[in-house]
Amino acid sequence: MLDVFLRELRRLATTPVYWLTLVVAPLFCALLFTSLMRSGLPADLPIGLVDMDGSATTRNLARNLDAFQNCHIAERYASPTEARAAMQRGDIYAFYYIPRGTTQKLMSQRSPIVSFYTNNQFLVAASLTYKDMRMMSELTGGAATRTVMRGKGVTDGQTMALLQPIVIDTHPIGNPSLNYSIYLSNILLPGVFSLFCLFMTVWGIGIEIKESTADELLATAARRGHPGAASISARALFGKLAAQGLLMQLVGWTLVLYLYGYLRYPCQCGIPTALGIMTLFVAACQGLGAFMICTLPNLRLGLSFASLWGVVSFSICGMSFPVMAMPSWVQGISHLFPLRHYYLLYVNSMLDGWPLAAAWPYVLALAAFALLPLLYCRSFSRIMARTAYHP
Amino acid sequence: MTINNSFAQTLRSIFTDGGVLLFCVVVPLLYPVLYAFIYNGETVREVPVVVVDDSHSRLSREYLRRLDATADASIVGRASSIEEAKAAVSRREAYGVVYIPSDFQESLMTGRQTRVQLYCDMSGMLYYKALLTANTDVSLDMNAEIKVGRMGGNPIAAASGIQGGTAEQQSALQHPVRYEWVALFNAQSGFASFLIPAVLILVLQQTMLLGIGLITGTRRERKEKAPSQWSSFQTLTGIALAFIAFYIPVSLYVLGVVPEMFNLPHIGNLWEVGCLLLPFLVAVFNLGVTLGVLPRKRESVFLIVVFTSVPLLFLSGVSWPAAAFPPFWHYFAQIFPSTHGATAYIKLYCMGAHLSDVRTEYFALWAQAIIYGITAWLCVRYVYKEHPKPLQP
Repeated sequence: MLDVFLRELRRLATTPVYWLTLVVAPLFCALLFTSLMRSGLPADLPIGLVDMDGSATTRNLARNLDAFQNCHIAERYASPTEARAAMQRGDIYAFYYIPRGTTQKLMSQRSPIVSFYTNNQFLVAASLTYKDMRMMSELTGGAATRTVMRGKGVTDGQTMALLQPIVIDTHPIGNPSLNYSIYLSNILLPGVFSLFCLFMTVWGIGIEIKESTADELLATAARRGHPGAASISARALFGKLAAQGLLMQLVGWTLVLYLYGYLRYPCQCGIPTALGIMTLFVAACQGLGAFMICTLPNLRLGLSFASLWGVVSFSICGMSFPVMAMPSWVQGISHLFPLRHYYLLYVNSMLDGWPLAAAWPYVLALAAFALLPLLYCRSFSRIMARTAYHP
Repeated sequence: MTINNSFAQTLRSIFTDGGVLLFCVVVPLLYPVLYAFIYNGETVREVPVVVVDDSHSRLSREYLRRLDATADASIVGRASSIEEAKAAVSRREAYGVVYIPSDFQESLMTGRQTRVQLYCDMSGMLYYKALLTANTDVSLDMNAEIKVGRMGGNPIAAASGIQGGTAEQQSALQHPVRYEWVALFNAQSGFASFLIPAVLILVLQQTMLLGIGLITGTRRERKEKAPSQWSSFQTLTGIALAFIAFYIPVSLYVLGVVPEMFNLPHIGNLWEVGCLLLPFLVAVFNLGVTLGVLPRKRESVFLIVVFTSVPLLFLSGVSWPAAAFPPFWHYFAQIFPSTHGATAYIKLYCMGAHLSDVRTEYFALWAQAIIYGITAWLCVRYVYKEHPKPLQP
């Protein structure tokens, strides 16, 4: 097995494609996602204002709205129609509409109506601007009541208790700043990396078939140890996976250290456990990759299978859209994707800090993926020897 | 006629190559459907929540009853302590905990503020959003009613004489300013309606890049080159016509039929989408031919194209708002047809904009088509074609 291991290490070191896909590309993606979302929450999103009232009160409202974290009044429009057209062009994500007579109604306590429009085609921008505009509207109402109450001789503190008797204190567990990068990068980076692990495992075995070097591989495996076909198979397969695994694990650990050591994203379970989870995850991807290429022993078909499977992982793992809201048959197949289990482990351990024991089914599932190549440990040499490459 | 030959040769390669057919026909046919199934729940409703009611009062029960009645939250259990409730969250039985303090009713009755604690699991932003919305809605409703004394006497309100009065006065006090929120275009704030249009554009781009990569890869592997007497421009045009002709029905299905099948909101005009499609397909095609020189093996194209789908989806500015991109990534995103294609398609088809509203993206796509056209022409001239044999002296 050592011979195969060393042979594979030589191949890894001398073939640029491994370095590009297993080292350069994952690290590039890591930089891309984390720097794209480095602000955590998008700030100062452009919104529009339609102020038909134009009084001191409404100008004050607009100024306050502009000061909110997520909104920035980029443009003023003369009518809602114009603002809507600007929204269609994509100039603004939302607009706030104050009709004529708002101040007058407010003063005479006749409940004026203001409106705000969000472009929910851009869901993230819409929900952030919505939050600010709704808050602003509540505050405006509050300010009006406060003026009345001051007139009646009530203190501001008492008025607050009257305006907002029930306050909601929100505690987002594990991600108190609602950082989108924490929410997304923690899964996107391992997700993209797992895609490469899957590809390169398939590639590493498939290329031997394609370039007819499988005989050489088997001969290397037969050089030492038990001469039986089954044990040659096992040595060839696991020697190869071990060498590739070594490189993949190193990159996987780098990603973990980058996320939790350098960027200091929340990691309640501590970095050693995170490294352990990553190790298991990489092994699971290797296992799945080896299974794919042994089942479809042709580089092109194996890679197609891996691509089609791997790309769906991002949607079906439930990181952005919860699995519980998917149709039941989709919920069923979601278990067949290692990224789903990694995501659940991440939530359990890194984000929430529950003991790993609470998530044993997912550990078990990843281990099962990692053990998939055992199915082929006896027949591997037969697959490699039998299959000729058809372009 | 070089164009004819090159056109026929390319069509033959497309239809005789199982890999190309898989990625250029089967994937565009099935993947949008699969994604639509995954996201078609649109939004998450009835997020399970565990409550800890230390108040055991009429008002706390009222609060919880209203919380349970919202569409967003559903009370699945009661716990006697926050620790016990968090344990339920750790078992994934609930995604949040609502804690009502023991002095809830007492505070409200004596005119003091009271604070309800909401603990949210942050594994998904949608859980958080649903629970926060549900609790905010309930608290604002109750606040408005408490203000006018409908929930039992508020001593300050009573003393200052703002309680009582006519129904109209009460209503003005409850809501000094009323507000309306209108969600435009994707009125139900659905996840499928938000993400799928961009995914559709990416499916088109990525499958076409794969298809071109597979064909050029195969030719290079077999050392097949276009004859040197063929004009490079006409050769390229022939290949382009074959691919684009092939992709027109595929695109119409992906961009026109899929949104129809899954009732994604679309108020735009399909003809205008067709106008946009032309520069988009040409740009993607030329990019594909250009990228085709990089890999030396037929299969390498998978390694390049497949993983970029996820970063490109982000760079299109649909999920993470483009207005919040750091400048470098903003410019970097401009070089991919999918960035402009997705933005323009969403504006045209989902938001009902007109072609004149997306002229920036439209011209950007043409600019890409021309720039990548030049690089593609160079690739055909120097890589995909035989070099003319030097004249014998």
